[in-house]
Parts: sequence; structure tokens; C-alpha cells
Amino acid sequence: MEIKKLLFVTKFEDLCFDAMNSLLSLTRASLEHVVFLNVIERDKVAMHRGEGYLTDEVVKLKEIANIRFIDWAETLFEMGLEVGAYMEVGSLIPQIIKAIDQEKPDLIVIGRSHKGPLEQLYSRSDVVELMRRSSIPVLVFKHMAEDNIVPESPFKTPLLATNWSAASLKAAEYLKGMKNVVEKVHLMHVTNEKKLKGSSSHAVQKIRKEERKKLDELCQEFESSGIDARAHIYIGDPDKEIEKAAREYQASIVVLGSSEKASIMDRWAASVTKTIADKSIFPCLLVPHDKKGLSDQQP
Amino acid sequence: MSKKVLVVDDDPDVRSFVVTVLEENGYDPLVAKDGVEGLQMIQAESPDLVILDVLMPRGSGIRLYRKLQTDKALKAVPVIMFTGIALKSFLRSQKVLAEFQGEKVPEPDIYLEKPVEPEELAEAIEKKIG
Repeated sequence: MEIKKLLFVTKFEDLCFDAMNSLLSLTRASLEHVVFLNVIERDKVAMHRGEGYLTDEVVKLKEIANIRFIDWAETLFEMGLEVGAYMEVGSLIPQIIKAIDQEKPDLIVIGRSHKGPLEQLYSRSDVVELMRRSSIPVLVFKHMAEDNIVPESPFKTPLLATNWSAASLKAAEYLKGMKNVVEKVHLMHVTNEKKLKGSSSHAVQKIRKEERKKLDELCQEFESSGIDARAHIYIGDPDKEIEKAAREYQASIVVLGSSEKASIMDRWAASVTKTIADKSIFPCLLVPHDKKGLSDQQP
Repeated sequence: MSKKVLVVDDDPDVRSFVVTVLEENGYDPLVAKDGVEGLQMIQAESPDLVILDVLMPRGSGIRLYRKLQTDKALKAVPVIMFTGIALKSFLRSQKVLAEFQGEKVPEPDIYLEKPVEPEELAEAIEKKIG
């Protein structure tokens, strides 16, 4: 699985060229085409009582975006990359889906969701909605910590958290294709504490040994692909343990597979994917399970 | 019979501006909104001139210009570049692509940076195809 084309979705206040710049290490893998998308949310330019758009405001906002994109594009063109850009008025997710249909990217890069908790409860977070409607991996880009430092090379030392689902295995395949970019991958599995209740120390160690064996096999696969890999077992709440492991091993990014079940459950119970995507301080690469034609479906 | 001029630009306002200039000067305008559609129309319509933007969805003007200059069947199509991208960046990108792909392409002889006055555009078109 190669990343030849990426769709970079920006509102400018969340993702700027420093974020794009840090992704240029992907040119050492197979990146050759970057498409920018800026969506001007309807409510920013809507007239009162649904009487259409404020045309002058739309023109102004589109031109502001255009000027930024021209500036960014010049840098990328000069590196020999192919560049495209969209400036659209509408709702974020439908416009992303439209751009996906037009461009067929291999990766979508998006900033952290700006919806509040109440808004997310009723309308899902942008990222979860995107994962539900597309089968393309999504990189939720974040500036590390409060000082707004952009990770220099997000794919240098990823932490892949696997629950052995098909989506997790797809995420592993995705990383294996980046041997010129990934220096070392940390593979982790979190065993739920509930699984250990009432068990003897022998039984606990047996569970650890079984999971460790699976992780070691996966490490071996990475090493055969030319990527150094280390296995780690954690016990407890996946959200907290993944964050803990990412800190302990100074991960540059957290990589997760996202199952359909997690997406469906999201409205009612926070899935690991959603929590990590929205709350972790680390950039997150979310790899959805394969599904066909979902981008054509209406919510 | 009036000469056919294809405008390849993703911005509807720019397309409309160029189409007006073309009509006022007796040309027959055709339009395409991205690089892919632009190439299809060049192959299907054999225009007398292409007015080409650079930063567009689904294929930039940089790659389309290169395609036109390296494809034997399309090499003869005259091109005016009409874009917000600086000439310096355009030339550097062509240089890098030439290093990757091993084939240099000639610089465009008319490169207009947006915006331009209608008279300037009309003059450039006339200079190119009469």
C-alpha cells in the first residue's frame, strides 16, 4: 500500500504549511501528488433566514485561501511534486467526500475536530464521520503539546496499537509500505483488565505469552520488510495505555485500525479510535477497514 | 471560420473573464475546468490555442504543459500560461521534472501572471495566433 497522493484538508487556523512540510518525508516513500482542500463553512457566509450566501464574503474567503495555496503550491511544485487545490463552500465532510471521489487520494490529512462535546454527541466528530464514510486512512494532525511544535517527521517512530482486527492488520500493512520513512515501529497490544480477573498468575502470564508471540510474529514481518520493530504488551484501559506507551517510547505518531463496530458505537460510547483521535496529544493515523462504495452513501 | 481557443482553469470567474475577452475579439471559446478535462478537450477538439492555468484540481497546468510539449501529436498546439503561480516556480518545477524524467521542455514564450487587463490578454492571444 503506497501513499502517492494525499489530500490535505485545512482551515488554516488548525493546519498550516509547517504541518505539510513535515509530511514531505513521504516523498522518500512514494508521495508525488498533494491536493489542498479548504472548506468555507456555510454558516460563515450564510445570509439571514437562509436567503443564500454573502457573495462578497465568499469571494474574499476563497481568495484568501487561494493566496495561501498558491504560496504553498509554489514550494511543492519546485520540489517536483504535483499539486492541486479546492476552495469550496459547504459542510466539511461532504466536501471532503466530494474531493475524495474526484482525486482518489491514498491518505487524508485533517486537523483535530473543533466541534464541542455536545455538538459531537449529536453529530459525531468530523474524524469519526469521515472514517464511517470513507475507507481511506486519515491522519489527524496535531501540534505536539501546548507549544505548537510540529513533529519533525511524523512517520519516523510510529506506535501501532493492534487489537488483531482486520483494520489493525491493514494498518500494519500500510506501515510496512513505508520502509524508507519509518525508522522503527513500536507494536503494542492492550489486554483488557477484565480478561485477567480471577486468573492465577500462571493464567495471566499465559495470556501475556500468547499475545507476545503474536506481536513477535508481526515484528518479524516488519523486520522482513526492512523496518526495525519492538513489541510491547500493556494491561488496562486501551485509551490510557496507548497514550502511555506513546509517551514512554516517544512515538512520533499513534497508528490504529478502526473497525465498523467502533464507528457505529461511537454515538453512544466513546470508541478508542475517537478518544485517541480527539484527545491524544500525538498525531494519529486511523486506518479504516475495507468497505466498498461508502463514499457514495448518504448519512 | 473563427479560431478555437480552449481555456483550462478551475475558477469559473476566470473562465468567464477569458471567454468574454475571446468572444469580443472574434474567437470561438471552449472551456475545461481541470487538467484532465483540458487534455481530453485538446485531443478531441484540436484547438488553435490553449490558455492554461497552473494550480488546478485533477492535474496541474505544469504537468499538462509538459505533456503538450513532449507528446508528438500535441506539440504543435500553441499555449499561453495564465496563472497566479510565479514564473520562477513554474520554471524550477519544469527543471526538476526534466531531471526526473530526462527530457527538457521549452519555456513558454507567453506567461501571464493573474490578474491582467482584457487588452493585455487580447494582445497576447493575437500575438500567438493572430
